[in-house]
Amino acid sequence: MNDTDGRSASRVTLDRRQFLAVSGSAAALGLLGAGDPGFAESKYAGQKVVFASWGGAYQDAQKVSFCEAFAEKTGASVVQDGPVSYSKLRVMIEGGAPTWDVVDVTIDFLYSAVKDKLFEKIDTSIVNVNRVEKKFQHEYGVGNIVWSYNIGYNTAVFSPGKHPQSWAEFFDLKRFPGRRSLRDRVNPMLEIALLADGVKIENLYPLDVDRAFKKLDTIKKDAVFWTTNSQSQQLLIDGEAGVGIINNGRIYDAVKKGSKLGIEWNENMQSVDYLVVPTGVKNKSIAMALIDEMTLPEHQAKVAELMALAPTNPDAFKLISPSLSPWLSTTPENAKKGFLVNEEYWKDHYKDLAEKWEAWKLS
Amino acid sequence: MSIDKRSWLVAPAVALLAVVFVYPVFWLLLRSFSDPYWGIQNFRTLVDRPLYLRALANTVIVSGSVTLVCLLLGYPLAYTIANAGSRLRRLLVFAVLIPFWTSLLVRTFAWMVLLQQKGLINQALLRLGLIDQPLTLIYNRVGVIIGMVHILLPFMVLPLYSVLTRIDPSYTSAAASLGAPPLSSFLRIYLPLSLPGVLTGTVLVFAIGLGYYITPALLGGPGDTMIAQLIEMQVSELGRWGLAGALAVILLLGTSVAFALVQRVIAATR
Repeated sequence: MNDTDGRSASRVTLDRRQFLAVSGSAAALGLLGAGDPGFAESKYAGQKVVFASWGGAYQDAQKVSFCEAFAEKTGASVVQDGPVSYSKLRVMIEGGAPTWDVVDVTIDFLYSAVKDKLFEKIDTSIVNVNRVEKKFQHEYGVGNIVWSYNIGYNTAVFSPGKHPQSWAEFFDLKRFPGRRSLRDRVNPMLEIALLADGVKIENLYPLDVDRAFKKLDTIKKDAVFWTTNSQSQQLLIDGEAGVGIINNGRIYDAVKKGSKLGIEWNENMQSVDYLVVPTGVKNKSIAMALIDEMTLPEHQAKVAELMALAPTNPDAFKLISPSLSPWLSTTPENAKKGFLVNEEYWKDHYKDLAEKWEAWKLS
Repeated sequence: MSIDKRSWLVAPAVALLAVVFVYPVFWLLLRSFSDPYWGIQNFRTLVDRPLYLRALANTVIVSGSVTLVCLLLGYPLAYTIANAGSRLRRLLVFAVLIPFWTSLLVRTFAWMVLLQQKGLINQALLRLGLIDQPLTLIYNRVGVIIGMVHILLPFMVLPLYSVLTRIDPSYTSAAASLGAPPLSSFLRIYLPLSLPGVLTGTVLVFAIGLGYYITPALLGGPGDTMIAQLIEMQVSELGRWGLAGALAVILLLGTSVAFALVQRVIAATR
């Protein structure tokens, strides 16, 4: 992932005119939190806010985008911590003294944690949530990046155009023989299996669990299961699996490094990371202010350029290079082909279904 | 020399263990009976759902197989080291210790590269004409056992080696001079004398193997889930501390029983 970092400075195409256009219009609407740096400086100067994320190149991208900008604008210091561990976060919040002020969490944890009142409500007087698309706003978190599960394939095994172009084809062992790599997790596998079995996206939820497992049975013998992202990449690159389920950013990364992989956007399943504030943090307002900074288009564009993680603020696309847009999940044409995971459903069913998934693997 | 007078020497270690080990373990054990409410429901869940019993069986079988392979590979290796000249001995001990110096994750990924269908081992075998079809060496139990043996072999070799070096070579010379063929002198003299090392190595490898989860997750197939993977899932994904605690209790009990058995056997051989 380090070479991703190395590209950072040169690849960010923050055209000055574009930048002024976006920030200008934002300021005109009174949206730009940093419109009056003098005020912000006096309020948060000398204070500290701890940001916890997932480490590696991803957190580095977050650091050099909104974290450093926030520190510069306000005179506060943003301390990086992590990697995020949900058990640690939970224990820390239950203990009453969370040391993380702002945390990057996945959508499933956001929804399950809300039940247990683990996060503070987003203070809309500080965070301008309307900068991000409505579907990425939540009462207890603000979406910061979007990514998706896609069909990825090795172009030496399936030439582009003759690759599986839907989940139904992905499951079709006759037309597309050979091993395929699957995510070792019940979500997204149930949705994918149901789509493969002919269920329409709009009728997916509530999931027909038995039907999904029955469909999964049909490819179990030809499946390799991956648990880490680098594994999902390696399986396709080495041709261990000719086609597989993989995150869009991982194909982008592999292709950038010269691997011959292709991506299919049809029926991509999207997921969101949110920034949240743990219940009981000492300085809630600075935590909210950091989240507000994250929503700005220039920072989201920067993260997208570095990681191929899609912005939640559509204005960011004005700053993203046209060669990158086709790789991003929220680019309108890609978003149209895909769907957002329904965490309302998963928050009530994940525990039982995760266990069922393990049982299915062992059966 | 009285051990009691010196017992304060171990006080810091005991205090550290109490804080960072005994307390958390006790806390987890407590939760297995108290979370989400008091009772034995967590243990009942483990018995009622085939998933947990299967994973438990997997754990014992995989760990047992790994122990056996380690013993078969480790005994001749330890014997060679114990009877080698000092230079070769140093080299071999070094080679045995190498796995300790690289991270478990790196080693596991290295095995993925070696064992896969287009990996080094399959390519070599294909080119030598020994096989026509690539072997499935990974994403199944074979992969798990290979990966775990590599990591756990030192835990077998080192205790064995330390016992074997202490076996007086004059015993076997005496047996030979009295007309015992090599095999019977090995079986009747050398092997019984090496038994404490065998048992220590066996129990170490078996007990450590019971708790493995990264290797089976990365090198195993869908049927190779081990109990530690389920504990990890309960804690970090599902937040079910009670069930995790119950699984941990079972694992701890299994390990303790293994240790107790070996203690007894060692005591009996003396």
